Amino acid sequence: MTAPGAAYPRPPRRLLRVFATDPMRGDAAGNRITISVANEPLKPGPEGARLSVVDYDGGSGRYYEPVDLDAPALLMQEGLEPVESDPRFHQQMVYAVASKVLENFDAALGRTFRFKGGARLRLLPHAFRGVNAFYDPDLFAVLFGTFRADEENPGPNLPGQTVFTCLSHDIIAHEMTHALVHRLRPHYLEPSNRDVLAFHEGFADVVAIFQHFSFPEILTGAIQETRAHLASADTLVKLAQQFGCATGSGEALRSALDDASVADDPFGEKARKRDRLKRQQYETVTEPHERGSILVAAIFDAFFATYQARIRDLIRIATGGSGVLPEGDLHPDLVGRIAKEASKTAQNVLTMSIRAFDYLPPVDVTFGDFLRALVTADTELVPADDRGLRASMIEAFRIRGVYPDDVISLAQESLLWEDRSGEVPDLPVNLLRQQLVLSARAFDRYAPGRESDEDPTGPWAKALRHWAAENARPLDLVPGLPVALEGFHTVFRVSPDGQLLIELVARFVQAIQGAKDALPLRGGTTVIASSEGKVRYVVSKPLPSKRLRPEAHRAGERRAGLQAGFVGVADLADPSLAWGTARSLRRRRAQISFSAVNRAAWRGR
Amino acid sequence: MSRARKKTGPGAVTVRMYNVGFGDSFLLTFPAADRPRRVLIDCGSHVSGPGPEPIGDVAGRIVRDVTGADGVPRIDVVIATHRHQDHVSGFQAPVWKDVHVKEVWMPWTEDPDDPDATEIREKQSGGATKLHAALRLAGAPDHLLDLVANCLTNEKAMTTLHEGFAGKPARLFLPRKGAERKAFSPASLPGVTVHPLGPSRDPDVIRDMDPPKGKGYLHLGTDRDGGSGRLPFRRRWALTPKELDATAAFAHLRLPETYRKAVDALGEDDDLAVAAALDAAVNGTSLMLIFEIGKAFLLFPGDAQWGTWNAALSDPASVALLKKTVFCKVGHHGSHNATPKEFVQKELGAFTAMVSTRPMTAWKLIPKKALMAALQAKSKAVVRSDRLSSVPSGFTKQGESWVETKIPV
Repeated sequence: MTAPGAAYPRPPRRLLRVFATDPMRGDAAGNRITISVANEPLKPGPEGARLSVVDYDGGSGRYYEPVDLDAPALLMQEGLEPVESDPRFHQQMVYAVASKVLENFDAALGRTFRFKGGARLRLLPHAFRGVNAFYDPDLFAVLFGTFRADEENPGPNLPGQTVFTCLSHDIIAHEMTHALVHRLRPHYLEPSNRDVLAFHEGFADVVAIFQHFSFPEILTGAIQETRAHLASADTLVKLAQQFGCATGSGEALRSALDDASVADDPFGEKARKRDRLKRQQYETVTEPHERGSILVAAIFDAFFATYQARIRDLIRIATGGSGVLPEGDLHPDLVGRIAKEASKTAQNVLTMSIRAFDYLPPVDVTFGDFLRALVTADTELVPADDRGLRASMIEAFRIRGVYPDDVISLAQESLLWEDRSGEVPDLPVNLLRQQLVLSARAFDRYAPGRESDEDPTGPWAKALRHWAAENARPLDLVPGLPVALEGFHTVFRVSPDGQLLIELVARFVQAIQGAKDALPLRGGTTVIASSEGKVRYVVSKPLPSKRLRPEAHRAGERRAGLQAGFVGVADLADPSLAWGTARSLRRRRAQISFSAVNRAAWRGR
Repeated sequence: MSRARKKTGPGAVTVRMYNVGFGDSFLLTFPAADRPRRVLIDCGSHVSGPGPEPIGDVAGRIVRDVTGADGVPRIDVVIATHRHQDHVSGFQAPVWKDVHVKEVWMPWTEDPDDPDATEIREKQSGGATKLHAALRLAGAPDHLLDLVANCLTNEKAMTTLHEGFAGKPARLFLPRKGAERKAFSPASLPGVTVHPLGPSRDPDVIRDMDPPKGKGYLHLGTDRDGGSGRLPFRRRWALTPKELDATAAFAHLRLPETYRKAVDALGEDDDLAVAAALDAAVNGTSLMLIFEIGKAFLLFPGDAQWGTWNAALSDPASVALLKKTVFCKVGHHGSHNATPKEFVQKELGAFTAMVSTRPMTAWKLIPKKALMAALQAKSKAVVRSDRLSSVPSGFTKQGESWVETKIPV
């Protein structure tokens, strides 16, 4: 292999072609983009360091020939040409989109994302026959369904056409996000309040939609076409709806469109009515996908407000200040710049949303927690909100009536998690030193296998658990109750102005087991400390206990009550619990799917 | 004399539960000054859960039971709570043509002249037909096919209910438009007030009656590949597990056999979810009625599911009514989602309950044990149609055929 002379440097990126929008939505012509992912060595599958595409089809009991993306013929031409008839292209697309999601998490979290024990997540592009796709923690795989469109009522598809859910960027990104969220917060699969599963679904849609928006090629066509409405919501909302269609949030995004009609009179009767309706949704909708789309819609609104502000100058330049664009096609440079602003804003929103994860409690998340985590994480990194994105986020959540517990106002300062500096002794950094070095090195090069922060038996893990037990009360952990260390990470982030921020994040969980089949009541705390071990934030969901601070105890009691009420309703609303076998039920509980078929039955009032 | 009789009256409603297996059939006899009034609620049995005698024989038995001294069988009101086979299949029997009936009550979703109702029916029946055909072609297991078969049109039985019986009965579709949750006193049942709690006409609740929208079987063609092993790609791309295992370059992709088996089963889980959602959608059309006579409140929720219950429990007036329940027909054969356990434990006082059910091999979670235990703990007495060998005191039975109790009014 090695020719005489110097070796060629390995190119850092690998380019792969994929379908830009679902081929199942027709419009196949010109429907392709090229995604750039890290150039890791790949075995046939493809199988890389973190992902393994295994094309086994449970419907026919057959494997399909795996693609070899390192074959010279494919390296020369950005992978296989997008076609529906070749399963090897499907494998390429699943790999490319899933890798892109991983990269977005790597960049936003400031560390190399790693699955438990360094395992590879399996992706099965044609696992079963059915209109569905899901992440299954038991099989540790993302499984995509294949189905035939109805002859008489094919929906958006051709009659009788075979439809592959694995050829949708949004479905791949959505299910992939479920897998990553499950890794970051395993207890978010437990429906301990009405926001938890909804958060899983909504967040997966946010990643799918904004990752999709981050490809400027997708935006240029749409912007050119609707030139007259450049600054109105139409173009982007329609595009987002189209994306959201596959995963279910499409409907909800319509509310952003409605906003355009009341924009002239933000305090008029129409606007008030709209706001009332939005708030009502958050109070009444319980089905996880529908509730999740409230989160999507709020984040989309924030994205849109920021985008509008950012292109205002471009419009002024292009129109000599009049705001009225000339007849005919737009100048391609203008289109290109606007598309770039839109995709940049989308990338900012995506990064900001993912970054919030380290500031989330380990259990029982609410949308309000997410807002607080978002604001805190962003403030730590970018103290001055000169991009305006943070303020837009707060406003969008406010309009939807999403108020976090225990904050006195929705001002940025009160949304920050409470600063607990000085209340808790420092983390035992000396014992963690080796750990810090390892993390730093892992970040140095693309090599996830080297990170060892997950070994719960290591001396540093023991030290951390001991530290948590010693400081249980200030950490809102019940003294005397066993504490599990769920994760510990070193986080390196670079702010837009080039500053490096290093943080240590540890998560501790406790549980009270109730009846045999019942969901245990869990409490937990996320601790965020500086690189010297000084504790900054204690993000807690305490268990009820008289041994805690009175306010922590009260919060615990309230959570326990809400959980008891919610779990019962969740069961009542699920008809398949009656008909299943033990195996199918266990599986159903674990799966999170993009098309929960019993969506309607969940609807609360 | 007549005055004295009026004062004390016959004193009780008789509720008789026929043992139909996995299904429902209840005969109520209300006391009245001139003659007792009879109400029949449902007559049906699930194909895969028959009772000790075929449902046609149970129908014959009911007709004999309502035949008077003049040899004419009479029922004042026949009620079909919803169109599931296990609630209406008995109406296929020819014996009904001679039964004199005054009124037939059905949920508003059965109204042939209501376009909303027609749309819901067509969606549900169309969905069931399509799903059944698709699953049969795919070689789906029996328990799944039976679940869907229960939702098929049941044409013959529905024809009896819509057009059959002697005596030209009037057809009532409840609740009437604009009269939701409004109590009424039917002329056919003197002294009885009926409170219709469901099915709702609220668009939000009606949505529960839609089969899963735009998903699942609505997109499935009848020539679905599932199980038949047809490939979505050309054969040259396919490798048997043996072939893959024999290729050294693909060694890293081998899946253990147990893993492959688990993947093979995924399609079935997905089908089950669709079938269950469809079943729940039809249950969502169930009539949910409270009969009030004297101090007695008798609750017949059909197979009403969470949507209807939730609507009722969110309405203070309905909750106040439900709290007065002294007799409860346990919904949906005792499944977890047709009777909110919390409601039983918190809201109900002393009551008598009947569960028409039987254990099924495929559906081990019906009846739901925890719910049965909660009913046992909270009620005066519970009787199950499949456990008639020894019934609690206060109940009368006839062999394995039926069990009845008297509720004082």
